Amino acid sequence: MSQFLQATVYGLLQGGLLALIAVGFSLVWGVMNVINLAHGAFVLVGAYLTFELNQRFGLDPFAAIVPVGIALFAAGYLVQRGLINMVVKAPIFITLLLTFGLELVLVNGLVLLYSGDYRSVTTGYAGDGFTLLTGVRVPLGRLLAAAVALAITLVLVAVMRHTRTGLAILATGMDRGAARLMGIRARHVYALTFGIATAMAGTAGAAVSAVGTFSPADAGRFTLFSFVAAVLGGLGNMYGALIGGIVLGLVEAWGGQLLPGTLVNAVAFGVLVVVLAVRPQGIAGRAFYASRVEV
Amino acid sequence: MHTRKAAALVTAVALVAAGCGSKGEHKASGGGDTLQIGASLSLTGSLAREGGLTKEGYELCRQAVNAKGGVPVGSKKLKLDIKYQDDTSKPDTAAQLVDQFNDKGVKLILGPYGSATTEAAAAVIERNGQVMADSSGADDKIFQKGYRRTFAALSPAHSYAASMVQAINEMAKPKPSTMAFLSADDGFSKTVAESGAEEARRLGFKVVATEYFPSGTSDVSSALTKVKPMKPDVIIGSVHVAEGIAIIKQARELGVRPAGGFAETVAPPTPDFAKSLGADAEGVLGSTQWTDTTTGKDKWIGSAKDYATAFKAAYGGRAPEYHGAEATAACLALVFAVEKAGSTDADKVRDALAGLNEPTFFGPLKFTAQGQNLTKKMQVVQIQKGRPVSVWPKDVAEAPMVWPGTGK
Repeated sequence: MSQFLQATVYGLLQGGLLALIAVGFSLVWGVMNVINLAHGAFVLVGAYLTFELNQRFGLDPFAAIVPVGIALFAAGYLVQRGLINMVVKAPIFITLLLTFGLELVLVNGLVLLYSGDYRSVTTGYAGDGFTLLTGVRVPLGRLLAAAVALAITLVLVAVMRHTRTGLAILATGMDRGAARLMGIRARHVYALTFGIATAMAGTAGAAVSAVGTFSPADAGRFTLFSFVAAVLGGLGNMYGALIGGIVLGLVEAWGGQLLPGTLVNAVAFGVLVVVLAVRPQGIAGRAFYASRVEV
Repeated sequence: MHTRKAAALVTAVALVAAGCGSKGEHKASGGGDTLQIGASLSLTGSLAREGGLTKEGYELCRQAVNAKGGVPVGSKKLKLDIKYQDDTSKPDTAAQLVDQFNDKGVKLILGPYGSATTEAAAAVIERNGQVMADSSGADDKIFQKGYRRTFAALSPAHSYAASMVQAINEMAKPKPSTMAFLSADDGFSKTVAESGAEEARRLGFKVVATEYFPSGTSDVSSALTKVKPMKPDVIIGSVHVAEGIAIIKQARELGVRPAGGFAETVAPPTPDFAKSLGADAEGVLGSTQWTDTTTGKDKWIGSAKDYATAFKAAYGGRAPEYHGAEATAACLALVFAVEKAGSTDADKVRDALAGLNEPTFFGPLKFTAQGQNLTKKMQVVQIQKGRPVSVWPKDVAEAPMVWPGTGK
């Protein structure tokens, strides 16, 4: 029993980290209808920036979230305005191709700069933890990462619902044509959205650097997690990716208790297939987003 | 109209002839005063790091041999020339590239990085009548298919974990009684774990669990959660670097602390391991193909210490590790074989490799009928003060084993 509880707790925390990675990806997909294959690479850029800040200035990885977030917001804004905006109305294959190209450039740039070595930011506390009554251990680093994920998602929801900028983003996501007729500058809104998403990717990268290891080859894995979490949770709802990530983390933890090795992935994707068959819009998604018309 | 058709036909025939011509040619292997060798390597993709280290080893061999004038073949001295192609860490691409080398007449091949790519390449080598000196494909399966043209310079998979079990059996005091094996689920790691567990049972240890996790994962928490209640004295990981780091990190997170310690095949000897784990890496055992205390000497490189000096000079003061050394050793095996055969002909080089018995900086190069190197022994290292230190076998040990490894 304690073994099952331990797996559950660990799965929840792991899910929080996955959610943090996925929220930005889901936002860009939902608002811009762009599947950003470079998302995982942005997570890594965040991780490497955190690594640099830690090596040079001794900055704690969780404190590095702020400067890394700001830097990646700026980078994301510029990438969208200068690059992705050119194809945002194009068919989905073109945006896939462009973001895939961007991913290759970023990942190989990181290989050139940092080589393929595995890296990690060591802190005195991330591996420590406390033990609950039943012998279940809660690691501090992962608890922090999951808390950051939850906090960021809540802040994002508040911003989206209660600020003019947030409403403009939501409106543009629902109907670009109508939003532009109301005087919303779609270009700027898209760039803001992309900037927010890359900032969140960077934040996730900072958390990953503290609790795990990373190398440039991990970019694809992060993008895949984001994709699964976004689809599982559903688009058009800020909580979608959070729920998707947590479900994915839990399923992997439980699956790992029952099945050996790579078969765990079969369970995770099996759940995805079942959810899509029963509820095609995802657990918390809205069907509207899948069928909207772009003008 | 007629002439145009004829011209097209002539062109087509000429192209086909040119294609065939290069295929059957043997001379290109040693055309002129160079000895042409081909290598398909993981220069990008998931194994880019290890592929890069392997390339460094091949290059060091090329420099050392060419600095001494080249390989003596008959009255000539041939300069080594190694052509690299990037297989992007994919086995089928590695096989295609080896095939392409054959089309260009390159018959002597240095192995790609890793067992999966080597296994794919070995099949093509056999079919084409090429010869491969394998530098990193240690999976025993590669050598159970009856191939006669692939020769591994390194010790096989079954000794990776078994050597650590033997070291613990000989040197650990108090002697642990139970062991748990955690393994990645790729073919190579499974072979390592299974043969390690077998050796542990043979030596009287109780193996309480063998758990598998997906190869390449950075989350091994499920396996650790399952092992935790069994309280093993020693946790032995059959891993690559990423999973090896994950075991130590997550064991601390989950409060899994074996009374004896951790042992993790190839992860601890890599510099990344101690760097990314900091103090948590202390005391972890690992096994390695080579350290600079390995005994043996050859005429191209000298001793293991000489190799370390040459490596540092070539690569900006970085200390060598076993990936580079095994690559250099595989390249040396080909060089020795060409010299002994007195020819660059693939069949003669194969026969020379099969009969090779040369001491080198890497240990003895001597192959079984299957092409494995069983004469060379694995070494066991332990992270002491942030550095992998050789602790077993006793005759090459730099320091005694600290036991229990987790004791602080």
